[in-house]
Amino acid sequence: MVRKDERRARIVAAVTEHGEITRVDELMQRICLFAVSEMAISGCTLALLAGTEPVGLLAGAGPHSSTVTELQFQLGEGPCLETCASGIPVLLPDLAIDGAARWPVFTVAVPSGVRAEFCFPLGVGPRCIGVFDLYRDEPGMLSDDHLADALIAADIARDALLYLQEPPGHPGLAALLEVVGMDRIVVHQATGMIAAQLDEAPPAALARLRAAAFESGRSIYDIAQDVVERRVRFDE
Amino acid sequence: MSEVSDRPAGGVAGSAGDGNDGNAGRRESLLARAFVRLADTLADEFDLVEFLHGLSVDSMEIIGAEAASVMLADTRGGLRLVASSEERMRVLELFEIQSAQGPCLEAFGTGQAVQAGAAESRLRWPVFAPRASEAGFRVMCAVPMRARTDTIGALNLFRGNDEPFSDAELEIARAMAQVATIALIQERAIRERSLLVEQLQTALHSRVVIEQAKGMLAEHLSTTVDEAFQLLNKYARDHNRRLTDVARDVVDRKLSHDALARRPAE
Repeated sequence: MVRKDERRARIVAAVTEHGEITRVDELMQRICLFAVSEMAISGCTLALLAGTEPVGLLAGAGPHSSTVTELQFQLGEGPCLETCASGIPVLLPDLAIDGAARWPVFTVAVPSGVRAEFCFPLGVGPRCIGVFDLYRDEPGMLSDDHLADALIAADIARDALLYLQEPPGHPGLAALLEVVGMDRIVVHQATGMIAAQLDEAPPAALARLRAAAFESGRSIYDIAQDVVERRVRFDE
Repeated sequence: MSEVSDRPAGGVAGSAGDGNDGNAGRRESLLARAFVRLADTLADEFDLVEFLHGLSVDSMEIIGAEAASVMLADTRGGLRLVASSEERMRVLELFEIQSAQGPCLEAFGTGQAVQAGAAESRLRWPVFAPRASEAGFRVMCAVPMRARTDTIGALNLFRGNDEPFSDAELEIARAMAQVATIALIQERAIRERSLLVEQLQTALHSRVVIEQAKGMLAEHLSTTVDEAFQLLNKYARDHNRRLTDVARDVVDRKLSHDALARRPAE
């Protein structure tokens, strides 16, 4: 077994071999590319979350990569959200079997090329700010080596995000939100509007928004945009 | 790891002149228990002083010394007494810092173990040695609290008789100090990261709550979300409150929309 610090050094070297990295999104992208080329997976994403509320995608690589995580954001269920809520990795060597009972909608809706999924928290203990979400087009467990690589890659991504916050206590949140884009923020604005229309708490309002997206087959962002621009109301 | 702990444990049984399997066995089990304690910094309520007090007492008992203490570097690079096996030592240690000389400081500075008997210590540390002698100590040693290239302090051991610490005993002291140092460095790193994660987590949650509050206000007051944000911001400024707290109150319906729409009394 390779020592942990050697493993970390090897991953850092691989991620930075194409020259110095100055932007956090570039580092996140390189970590995803490294995972796809070295960990026997088809694709992966790095996502930022506030508890189980999606904030946005930091990076992704491989076919369907954004779809897998995005789908969980839209449906409000899936291993990625569970990982961030608990701070514990969720490993699904056979998604159809292992996930069907826990996330019935997600496992059916997921693209057919996604057979196994592995989610690793970006955090310390139960505290979590995001997820490293890996998937493969064939069922089967990650090898011990790739599992160890994935855990360390998640720590590297986490540390990069944390030390963006310098000076301490003044988070570089603006920089992060720039990376993930503002288009997802509209979901939370729409959630507030629906909560006001129906006199409900935000989680219930968000559930309604998700249900509306699911029923209509439209993207939650499009519907949220309609709500914010007052083309759609939920109290009629 | 096993190399460090096995060898000295065997060495001590021979060198300390026990000649007694019972004592050697007791020492070995004390050592084993001490190493487990030293590695355990992950407890929920980790207490640095208690941890280092444990290191002092354990090393004193296992190695056979009358007193032990631990000094750690403070943020300005000076040494500060953090724990000791007894109160009487404090006077001495405090003195050591003030005079800026003594075995601890030397072990910390060089990263090497230091030991000296009564005569030698008078030459090496003319201010410190007489005080040590007054307190009844004849042989003194210090080993660095060191992991790889980081030296964070030193462990001090004093004996009241003239028998020098054997190589095996110094080896045990070094190993104990090293394990304690690794544990402390890890504990610091975890605590620091944990704090940063908490801050970022809070910031992300705040962001979500602010957006929700913007939506709620915009709906109630029939404004755009941008106008709602201006109102939130203005209210927070006028009332000298954090934007996040105001947004949280709006979402929790503790703050009426009218209060935010109203112009402050002038």
